[in-house]
Amino acid sequence: MAYSELIKSFEKIREYVSQFYVFGFKSRSEYTSKSARSYDNERRRIESWLGDYMQFRHEKGAKNSFLALDTRSVSHNPLYNAFKAKSFTDNDINLHFYIFDILAEGCEKSFRQILDCISEDYFAVFDADGEADESTVRKKLREYEKLGLIKSRKQGRELLYSRCDDIADLDSWQYAAAFYSEEDALGAVGSFLLDKFDSPPDYFSFKHHYILHALESEILEQLFEAMREQKSAELTIYIPRSDNIRIHNLLPLKIYCSTQSGRRYLLGYHYRLRRMTFFRLDNIKKVKLLKKDDNYEKHFENAEKYKRNLWGVASTSARGTDHIEMTVYVADGEEYIIRRLDREKRYGRVDALDSHHFRFVADVYDATEMLPWIRTFTGRIEKLECSNKAVTETFFGDFDDMLAMYGGDGNAV
Amino acid sequence: MLFNEIYSSYFNVVAEILARACSGELKQSDIGNIVSKKAFGESILNIPASLKNGEWLLLKDDMTTPIKSVPTMPLTLLEKQWLKALEQDPRIRLFPPSFEGLEDVEPLYRREWIEYFDRYSDGDDFEDENYIENFRLILKALREYRRITVDFNGRHGLRQRKDCIPYKLEYSSKDDKFRLIAISGDKRGKGYYTLNLSRIKTVRVLGHYPVEQYRQPEPESAAITVELTDERNCLERFMMNFSHLEKQAQKLDDLHYRITLKYDKDDETEILIRILSFGPIVKVTEPDYFISLIRQRLEKQEKLN
Repeated sequence: MAYSELIKSFEKIREYVSQFYVFGFKSRSEYTSKSARSYDNERRRIESWLGDYMQFRHEKGAKNSFLALDTRSVSHNPLYNAFKAKSFTDNDINLHFYIFDILAEGCEKSFRQILDCISEDYFAVFDADGEADESTVRKKLREYEKLGLIKSRKQGRELLYSRCDDIADLDSWQYAAAFYSEEDALGAVGSFLLDKFDSPPDYFSFKHHYILHALESEILEQLFEAMREQKSAELTIYIPRSDNIRIHNLLPLKIYCSTQSGRRYLLGYHYRLRRMTFFRLDNIKKVKLLKKDDNYEKHFENAEKYKRNLWGVASTSARGTDHIEMTVYVADGEEYIIRRLDREKRYGRVDALDSHHFRFVADVYDATEMLPWIRTFTGRIEKLECSNKAVTETFFGDFDDMLAMYGGDGNAV
Repeated sequence: MLFNEIYSSYFNVVAEILARACSGELKQSDIGNIVSKKAFGESILNIPASLKNGEWLLLKDDMTTPIKSVPTMPLTLLEKQWLKALEQDPRIRLFPPSFEGLEDVEPLYRREWIEYFDRYSDGDDFEDENYIENFRLILKALREYRRITVDFNGRHGLRQRKDCIPYKLEYSSKDDKFRLIAISGDKRGKGYYTLNLSRIKTVRVLGHYPVEQYRQPEPESAAITVELTDERNCLERFMMNFSHLEKQAQKLDDLHYRITLKYDKDDETEILIRILSFGPIVKVTEPDYFISLIRQRLEKQEKLN
């Protein structure tokens, strides 16, 4: 098939964009799971959509392609372009403009009238042979009705079609759409809305902005649908460690977004394991909606209770919760450390022991998850105790390794 | 359905071309201009040809079209549901859009379905009337290219006043805060400053400024190079964590990688503690002064152990 910059399905490109953007060190020959031609085509497409951000580097005789971008410098996520590159047939684009032209200005037409108009007012102008194909037009009308673009009502034995009503004041949404297209969990939709304006506002910028979330939009849309309809779902999950695919059935309940690690997760009730389970959104390859779960409300309540002892997204501990206490020394003029503890503590509490010592206390399902955060207080930790000994052992063991690493042995990594 | 051709760049571009054709103003050269401006890099090879060679029966050789009305498309159900979901967000009042026409629409999702579990808890009060008013005034000034005067509480609680040109309203999801990035008239400093919106007491919108005389602020950037060992899935965690920064990565061998991160010099402390959070699997190799900063923290900690 001839190359096109447009794509039929999103799944394949998702992996390439992610590799180019997040990692960016692989050469052509390292994309072993795909053919060389497939790699060339995908790279060329991404270059076509995101040319301004695509860079190349020659290394050991090979050319590495990568996406270089400080997200703070852009007001609009360029990765949304991938969602604006869906392929279509000649009929799709022709019918799109014909249908909205026929139904313009509040017109209401029957299927037969629409069909006749297409043949007489459009096809005939181009001396195109024959008439519009009935089943293609019917299918398109049905599709547009489902998308909420047109509506139908029955009159006698006929269906009459008209455009759906627009909202009263789309212009009033310009700034909100510019902000939420970047900030909302499913911002791609906001990006489509922004395309309706001549020049989308670029007054906003975004710090700590993980634009790669855009690639999970389709999956998230389906998960929201499952949640709205209180349905269970069959998830096709990619397991990176074993490079395997697994199928899991669960009831989607919540989306957990990390504002610091760039990851997002689905929390759901896992039917086989009979407990709450997290899956990373970027590892979910497919979502298939199953049947309505009558116990949805009960499971949702449990999910609310469940978060009380959750530091992040780990809950592997079968022994209940880990108790952790960390005493931090705050020197004069370092009051911002107290503020840091306070605003970053999530579910724990901070006790002032005296004017220079502050103790953070928490009970969490899995305290090993807290290690990265605890390490950010390196240089101030006077005491660290945890009922899960692995936490303190890892912290102090890692600390010794870091001391050795930065102390003398310059070759240690 | 989110991945659908009705949202595609091609449909949008063709709509714009047809709109011009409808008004009888379309010239051959316009097609190339519109495509180059609004579509993808290689679209210029496809869109004009498809319009010309009869694949798409939309535009005649004489640049007229059988399409009678300027093409418009109503909002899809997905778009309406998305807008409706924003009604529950406290930040929506900053803008504030009209929800008229969305009364019977079911929101795409409910706010309580989403947990930002590691977001800092001292975010801005988006429902504070004074905050909302200040935000809107700054947005107005941005829109109309006007200068502003801001009164704010400085770091040590002292009231200060500055005349400036608003450049961006920057939001951080982690901090849940807006900051004003403004260009100062002061040629001696770095030329711009950042101010937390929650510290601003009043905003006064002044006159227009000559847009062409002001260049966009360029933050002082810095870079560090790290080497990491891909244990405990560290490579993926590190690259995702810092994916919002401009970076270059190099594979040294099957287990080791070298990564250079570029960051805003003002964010150095934040970068430092984020690097520390990775522990011994990440080692900073450049520059020396950044390595010294890490050493200082380690030495301080050693004394406390």
